[in-house]
Amino acid sequence: MAQFEKEIVQAILIADNNVWNFKPLSDEGSTALLPLVNVKMLDYALIALNRSGVEEVFVYASLYLQDIRDHIKAGIATYASWSFKMTVHVIGGEGCRCFGDAMRDLDAKALIRGNFILLGADTVTNADLRPVLEQHKRQAKFDKGTAATLVFKECSNNVRTGNEVLIAVDRRNDRLHYHQRLRTHQKESRYQIPLDVFLGNSCVALHHNLLDPQIAIGSPSMLSLFSDNFDFQTRDDFVRGLLINEELLDSRIYVALLPDTQYAHRVNNWPAYQLVSRDIINRWAYPLVPDMGVYKLQQQYVFHKDNIYKSHEAFVSKVALQENVVIQAGSHVDSGAVISDSVIGANCRIGKNCRLNNVFLMADVTVKDNCRLEHCVVGAGATVNEDCEVSGGCVLGAASELPAKTKLTGTLVTSTPSTQKIDELEGGELELESLGPKAFIISDLTTGDPEDSDGEDFLPQQMLSIPKMGDRLALLDEISYCSDLSDDDDDASRAVTPLADDTNIFLGEVIDSLTRGFREKSNPDFLILEINSSRYAYNMSLKEVNFNVVKAIFGMQTIVEPANNNVLVAFNAAFKQLGPVVSNYIKTEDAMLDCLKALEDVCEENPLVREKISQVVHYLYVKDFVSEDAIQTWYGQLEEQEHGHLRQRLAKLVEWLDQSSEKDDDDEDDEDED
Amino acid sequence: MKEQPLKEVTQLIHAIKVGLVEGSYSITNKTLDIFKYIIMSKSWQNADALMQIVRAQCRILQAALPQETVTSNIARRILKLTREEFDLLQAKVQHFADDSQASLSLHKLVTQTSESNVSVDYSVPQKGLREALLDHLQEVETELETSSENICVQAEEHIHSSEIILTLGHSRSVENFLKRAIKKRQFLTIIVAECAPASRGHNLAASLAGEKNVEIIVIPDAAIFAMMSRVNKVIIGTHSVLANGGLRAACGAYTVALAAKHYSVPVIVLAPMYKLSPLHLCEQDAFNMVGCAEDVIPYDSIPAREAKVYSPMFDYVPPELVTLFISNTGGHAPSYVYRLLTELYHPEDLEI
Repeated sequence: MAQFEKEIVQAILIADNNVWNFKPLSDEGSTALLPLVNVKMLDYALIALNRSGVEEVFVYASLYLQDIRDHIKAGIATYASWSFKMTVHVIGGEGCRCFGDAMRDLDAKALIRGNFILLGADTVTNADLRPVLEQHKRQAKFDKGTAATLVFKECSNNVRTGNEVLIAVDRRNDRLHYHQRLRTHQKESRYQIPLDVFLGNSCVALHHNLLDPQIAIGSPSMLSLFSDNFDFQTRDDFVRGLLINEELLDSRIYVALLPDTQYAHRVNNWPAYQLVSRDIINRWAYPLVPDMGVYKLQQQYVFHKDNIYKSHEAFVSKVALQENVVIQAGSHVDSGAVISDSVIGANCRIGKNCRLNNVFLMADVTVKDNCRLEHCVVGAGATVNEDCEVSGGCVLGAASELPAKTKLTGTLVTSTPSTQKIDELEGGELELESLGPKAFIISDLTTGDPEDSDGEDFLPQQMLSIPKMGDRLALLDEISYCSDLSDDDDDASRAVTPLADDTNIFLGEVIDSLTRGFREKSNPDFLILEINSSRYAYNMSLKEVNFNVVKAIFGMQTIVEPANNNVLVAFNAAFKQLGPVVSNYIKTEDAMLDCLKALEDVCEENPLVREKISQVVHYLYVKDFVSEDAIQTWYGQLEEQEHGHLRQRLAKLVEWLDQSSEKDDDDEDDEDED
Repeated sequence: MKEQPLKEVTQLIHAIKVGLVEGSYSITNKTLDIFKYIIMSKSWQNADALMQIVRAQCRILQAALPQETVTSNIARRILKLTREEFDLLQAKVQHFADDSQASLSLHKLVTQTSESNVSVDYSVPQKGLREALLDHLQEVETELETSSENICVQAEEHIHSSEIILTLGHSRSVENFLKRAIKKRQFLTIIVAECAPASRGHNLAASLAGEKNVEIIVIPDAAIFAMMSRVNKVIIGTHSVLANGGLRAACGAYTVALAAKHYSVPVIVLAPMYKLSPLHLCEQDAFNMVGCAEDVIPYDSIPAREAKVYSPMFDYVPPELVTLFISNTGGHAPSYVYRLLTELYHPEDLEI
């Protein structure tokens, strides 16, 4: 009877993303268990799912599997608020190296029975996903090829955390047509969107201010699509693959936008970490705020003015807590300290006269007297000795110890030199600069971000490094405003560029195919196959294919530069060989018109053909590629002014055609006479 | 030592947090169910053990939901019940022939202060306590169920024909009270302040608009003072009543009360007995709750980056601004609340 029961809502939670961005803390434990305002990121995601009425969650992790299992167990034991009415399974995949592997593994295990919610463990949201799930189900009923619904959230245009996307959506059915990730570091001065998006759809909306919080609703077919296409590594690959091969895979992606009142953000790097921490403290993610006791049963903090959350069991006396501060139980702050915009974990000790600004201390951190910390993250159990100055997005690894009077900006420090997993992979950069017995600087510069498949879109001259927190969020506004102004006139001139790149590439490929086929005298059927596959690769419409195939024939080397300038001979030879290919495409009246229009284009470019145009058209007529009616219509459409020469040259031919047709069937009245 | 929460308690906490259980009445009802379940369970052998369990679960509820005072109010009622029933049964055993039952309770009331010095040993097992408690609990349940109705009955006494009434937000007791008044009186005008940002006043207005012979006006909160000069009576609900007769009421109530004071308009507060809590303003960690910043200003707006946004949920209204409380037992002046509290709860249970 089990299958007749109400379908339960399932969700997949992918842990272990952003391993690279959270170095060195990601080398010491799972990123899903990184605390964000003293609550683990995994818990935020689980709570979000619980609030959306999910009953069964599969947490998929590959690294630190045991840690995550232990955490889930501990959560259930301490009555974490997600443990009600929701079962959590932790699944591990040995050798699972990317998102795609995880999906393939889940498909193989056949745990998912229906539509499911797909979330990253790094997503913080208070959204209720039930309406989105319903929308997806409705869509799936209507369109059997619905593979996924991606959920986006509108965001302001001035802050970049690497999660912003540009998408093109059909307004009538919310179908996704184009998807592009935006740059992390600066604004684009222009976007390139394929012309097809607009040609194929009458009602397209472009959204350039969307945030991708890594929330999606998947159909069961989404998992099998991952299995079928083993080259899908990330969710972006999946989206791109589906958009290109829409017809081939018969799957479509739809889009849902979260309402304004719901918060969603992805924490995938340190700037995002800083931003989301601030949003949580400022209560944008309500009810996921520190004083609601989201994770534990008890309230842990008392809320004070200026967004200060202080635990009862924190010892804070004669300390200036300025604003946006969270202090957890057991922490001890000595007199004279000034703290603002910071999160202090459990059992930390902060010495006298310290200044902390935008600092994120995890549990058991010791900061000795007179330190200045700014924009930095300090891992669990680390020690910062007297008179240190740390700023500019430094990250101190767990249990590291900074010697007294150290000055650091923008560096990553780890406690032991042997934890360098990633560096070993990259070719053994094991020489680490040592600051002290328990502090080693690791290099965060690399030639490519392994997580980031869009690497080629970024500025090449810039060495990629881990995005670091800082006051950058405010700075971006100014830069972007400047660049906006300078680009304005540029954009205007580009607006008229007629051809999308794909069409030119397609044309090039068809020319290559035909040239080779002509030279090697291969079977026309194979050529047709080749052209068709190119067509699907570049997503050409039938009209474009007709047009371009004819154009390609005239673009072949033998016709562009014929022997003895005798175009007709070359043309004859080419058509003798490639005639079947052409006739395969040019079948209907419409196709013939396309063919003639292509000729019109060719005339513009090639003066040799222009001179002999009437013979060419005549040849095509005689060989039955184009019908008389098509020629008449085409001729009628040619405008006097633009194509005067062409008309002159063709006038005779048309006249002759008229006469011959009158001879053939006297009854028929021809009205195309000029 | 840490107490382990019962499964039912954790589920209730979760339900309240997620918003499945809303409104003081349903929270009270659900809490009462839990305590009934505890009393019925076999896990306690004497009154002392039962009181331990009730206290422990109450502390857990309080720690998780410090703003929902009704849960601890109910726990105090249960504790008081237990004490009374225990004493009664003890007395029955000891002086079986002595007095009639009626004089016993009166005697208790009069001599309560002197008696409280003598500590009673509740750990003695007492036969029949469970049954007596369950009996009594039935009474509490009935009282809870009828509390709204009992308040409504008094509508006619306070609202007269062609009066102008102002209310704020959406309180279920106020809704029922006004509906009753509309049925009995003619030509009423009811002004509803919308109570932004949740704007629950709209719901109340929509619900009242179904009635006949009444004019409903919805105003923004900013217009409260302007409208007050024409108002005959202010009738509001409250989240809870504090020990001094002050209110923890929906945000905006203080504005209403101050404006009413300025124009000498009487302020009537509908508060069933279970909302009376023996707490003072200063005794609470977090008197107020702060809601979502998004309600006040959009996240993407430029000022939101720099601004500190507060969306408080409650207002404290001092007792001198309240004219009258209407509870299910009748009307009371704010200065009388302390007396009601001593009747309702045992002095030793004020601290749980």
